[in-house]
Amino acid sequence: MKIMIIDDEPDIRTYLMTALEDEGYDTCTVDEEKPVETEIRLNKPDLIILDIMMPKRSGISIYKELRSVDEFKNIPIVLLSGMSPAKDFIPEGFRGLVDDESISVPDGFLEKPVQLPVLLHLVEKIRK
Amino acid sequence: MKKKHLIVSYELEQWINEKLFHIVPMAISIIDRDYNMVYANEVFREKFGDWQGKKCHEAYKRKSDVCIPCVGEDVFGKRGVCHVGEQIGYDKKGRLIRYISHVVPIVDEKGVIHFLLDMTTDVTEVEKIRKERQLLFDQVPCNMLIIDKSFRIKSINQRAYDMFGKIEGKHCYEILKGLKNKCHHCTAGNSLSDGQIHTGYSKVKDKNGNTVHLQLTTMPLNMEDGDVDHVLEMAVDVTYIMELEDELKVARNFRKSMISSSLEGIIAVDKKNAMTIINPTARQLFLLNDNEEVSTEDLEQILPEGFMKEVFSTEEHLRMPETEITDMEGNKIPVHLTGTKLMVDGKYLGMAFWLHDLRKIKNLEAAKLEAERLAAVGQTVAGLAHGVKNLLTGLEGGMYMLNSGIKKGAIERVKTGMEMLTRNINRVSTFVREFLSFSKGRKIEVKVSDPVSIAKEVVDLYTTRANEQGVEIIFEHQGKIDLAPMDYESMHECLTNLVGNAIDACQMSDEDKGCHVWVRLFEQEDKIVFEVVDDGCGMDYNVKKKVFTNFFTTKGLGGTGLGLLMTKKIIQEHGGTIEMESEKGKGSTFRIILARKYLPKIAENPLN
Repeated sequence: MKIMIIDDEPDIRTYLMTALEDEGYDTCTVDEEKPVETEIRLNKPDLIILDIMMPKRSGISIYKELRSVDEFKNIPIVLLSGMSPAKDFIPEGFRGLVDDESISVPDGFLEKPVQLPVLLHLVEKIRK
Repeated sequence: MKKKHLIVSYELEQWINEKLFHIVPMAISIIDRDYNMVYANEVFREKFGDWQGKKCHEAYKRKSDVCIPCVGEDVFGKRGVCHVGEQIGYDKKGRLIRYISHVVPIVDEKGVIHFLLDMTTDVTEVEKIRKERQLLFDQVPCNMLIIDKSFRIKSINQRAYDMFGKIEGKHCYEILKGLKNKCHHCTAGNSLSDGQIHTGYSKVKDKNGNTVHLQLTTMPLNMEDGDVDHVLEMAVDVTYIMELEDELKVARNFRKSMISSSLEGIIAVDKKNAMTIINPTARQLFLLNDNEEVSTEDLEQILPEGFMKEVFSTEEHLRMPETEITDMEGNKIPVHLTGTKLMVDGKYLGMAFWLHDLRKIKNLEAAKLEAERLAAVGQTVAGLAHGVKNLLTGLEGGMYMLNSGIKKGAIERVKTGMEMLTRNINRVSTFVREFLSFSKGRKIEVKVSDPVSIAKEVVDLYTTRANEQGVEIIFEHQGKIDLAPMDYESMHECLTNLVGNAIDACQMSDEDKGCHVWVRLFEQEDKIVFEVVDDGCGMDYNVKKKVFTNFFTTKGLGGTGLGLLMTKKIIQEHGGTIEMESEKGKGSTFRIILARKYLPKIAENPLN
């Protein structure tokens, strides 16, 4: 399974990619300067881990776009954020950010600081 | 004895036959059936002139034809009937006269009427007087009613008629007031009983049912000797005056409550320079007790020097939006002061002053500044949560790399892990330091400083670094900038932050063309302006939105993003504002504006 990490913090990217690769997953990331769609088309990930609060590009707007495009809307997306609490995020917290009912809720939510067991558990669940 | 009587009576008879006719003070004539004047007395001749050969209508009325109707014909026609009536004729001089005519038939033994006797009394004078009296009665500018002993209205003038309609014969209390009995305070009644003039007031209803207020004067009219049997009631309509009085009362009360409840201090002096108004707010402002007297001289001391004189000599309002008054204890109070000269029809009436206490506003302004600072602190918490968690994740990551590296014996990984740990630990400590300093609200130390030297120092500081990175840094300042009270260190920090950002922006620029940073300093309308302009990478919309408020950084591994927040806080503490313009790909401009009047005041330090 190929997992794409989208986060602006290089250290977080390094961490997540290394940890996932150690578990045997394939990983990739996006170049900040290139549009996300191009990168996805290029890499064809099976799962995207997407940070919500990024200074340069809004994570939420990327999410909304991916969910509206036929080509990408079936790719599972896990949202990553410093916001809490994790258990209320889906669906209430999410709907607070995106009240458009046509945009479906994410497949998972990870709270920062990232706990590796939680991440791996989530990835495994999605793989099935 | 009998003979004497007879002789006297005969002489009397003679006299009566010969002289009486001509002495009686009436014009007497004898007229036949053909309207001929048969005979007339001396008085007739005196009044109407010659009668011989004239017809009666000629002699009395200068008419050539018989009157229609003719009184004589009437009397001739009806046996033994006399006729009394008023006639109009002409005297011997041709002047119109009014007379009362008594016409009596002269009947012979057989009962045949051959002649008429016409006796007339001249009532012209009487008529004239009557007409004049009526005119006076009607034209006098008040109602005139003549009321009898039993309070019935005998006659009224035209004015009363216009107001009440035909009310003669009715009881005055009934028709004017709708009462069944005489009023308690009856002015007419008083005059009737004591024969004196009385005045009073009455409220009545006119013919349309409207209320009319009347000012009354009643005077007795004695028609016979002794008891007063009629009174003349003269009534002036004062309804309009009463309404005006009521309006005036309302207006006065309104004015009074407006002045006493106004939140502005209101003071007025009259043309003799005596204090006529000083409202509670003004008293409070001046620290005066409720009943304490204050003179105009005191006022001159309270208001700014020369202000009253200025107001007196100026035609318009004199406004001082921010000035100071001195209260009775010598304290200076900031106020918005307005003064105006009061004139009516070119006559000087006095002066009025309005004071608005500015202390509250000044306090509010200071509180607002503080609130903004706290809000900035609060706003960053959301951003902070994210930032801190990123740092923690970075540390987690470092630990993972270290541990897994050691387990796998992968030295490179261990190295990466160490780097991650070191880096993020540094970031955490920088962040904590900066944030503590920011949220503590470190007090600025204000001293008289030279803005030019602050800017120059910062430029000098960065010149080397800038050049190393291929960035040209240019310092421009226009004209002379006077010294100003500010915290030298803090302003230095602000400029350092902005210049540092500008240089970094140049770094992130894709272009290979040379990048520039301009540091400008100038003064505009009493405001000191620092500008830091770069033609580097600029910011897009999303980034611009968050620039001052959220804790974030675009600088990847370096910086904590609190720099701009600090800058904003420092500027606010100097009473200034910071503006930002940016266009992605073109560059950014940050502008610090410090209005001189809002700069902090230098604390008076007795030790200096």
